[in-house]
Amino acid sequence: MSLIKEPLPGVVVDGDQAENLSLWIIHMTGAEGTLYEGEHFQLQFKFSPKYPFDSPEVTFIGPNIPVHPHVYSNGHICLSILTEDWSPALSVQTVCLSIVSMLSSCKEKKRPPDNSFYVKTCNKNPKKTKWWYHGKICVTSYLCIIDY
Amino acid sequence: MFECNICLDTAKDAVVSMCGHLFCWPCLHQWLETRPNRQLCPVCKAAIGKDKVIPLYGRGSSQQEDPRNKVPPRPAGHRTEPENTTGFPGFGFGEGGFHMSFGIGAFPFGFLTSTFTHPDQRTSQATRGVLHHEDEFISKIFLYVAISFILWLLIA
Ligand SMILES: [Zn+2]
Ligand SMILES: [Zn+2]
Repeated sequence: MSLIKEPLPGVVVDGDQAENLSLWIIHMTGAEGTLYEGEHFQLQFKFSPKYPFDSPEVTFIGPNIPVHPHVYSNGHICLSILTEDWSPALSVQTVCLSIVSMLSSCKEKKRPPDNSFYVKTCNKNPKKTKWWYHGKICVTSYLCIIDY
Repeated sequence: MFECNICLDTAKDAVVSMCGHLFCWPCLHQWLETRPNRQLCPVCKAAIGKDKVIPLYGRGSSQQEDPRNKVPPRPAGHRTEPENTTGFPGFGFGEGGFHMSFGIGAFPFGFLTSTFTHPDQRTSQATRGVLHHEDEFISKIFLYVAISFILWLLIA
């Protein structure tokens, strides 16, 4: 709701979806001056009944999944605040902000190195993936080792 | 202003962490239970814990019953007595419940010590106060029992 009151640039909540408390669709536009400038993305937030003690399930959906070293082609995002570093003080807004800045800081558009293997074998729920985060390096339980 | 950092409502049974962040006690308790091995402040990730939060008592705040109150009670405030007090300085936050259970537990013990030894040599300063009162109480009861026994003997 605070996202509607204090919108982030390029981030819009689907009007009719905002009433639904368990599923939100967020529309994002790539920030100016970044590799994603002008691109449109959709982020899906699924909230469990344990929210905010349990992190929401956040994935990119729709026709355009950003090509990014931390975003798999099925929309799963390797971002520690979505699992281990989740805090109940984080809001949809702060999660969106982290994802926007993750995209904005990208220097080269490419998929994670283990993308095809991960996409074939992973659970539908990205929270079921055992993501490993070691400081500035993000390591999935698969093969990928990515500079964070 | 005084909103819980977890539920975003006005903080209920408010506690504040050492890092200065405000929460409802039920909200914070649930978060601490969620990650028992990694207790961090939800806002700033400072170390946090049940014994490291301070309750905030507003004026005239009564204990209203709330369904979420099935969590353990909010930790009590830590009171430190001002210096230069006389008597027994212990038990800054000893409310009814604590004294009560201790008193019952110490009852037979107090009885023995009053009979055989002087309690002052055996117990710490803080517990001595309680035992001492027990002793006086028990001696009085004994006195009354003895008097009524003698009276009964005289009458019979
Ligand atoms: Zn709260
Ligand atoms: Zn804090």
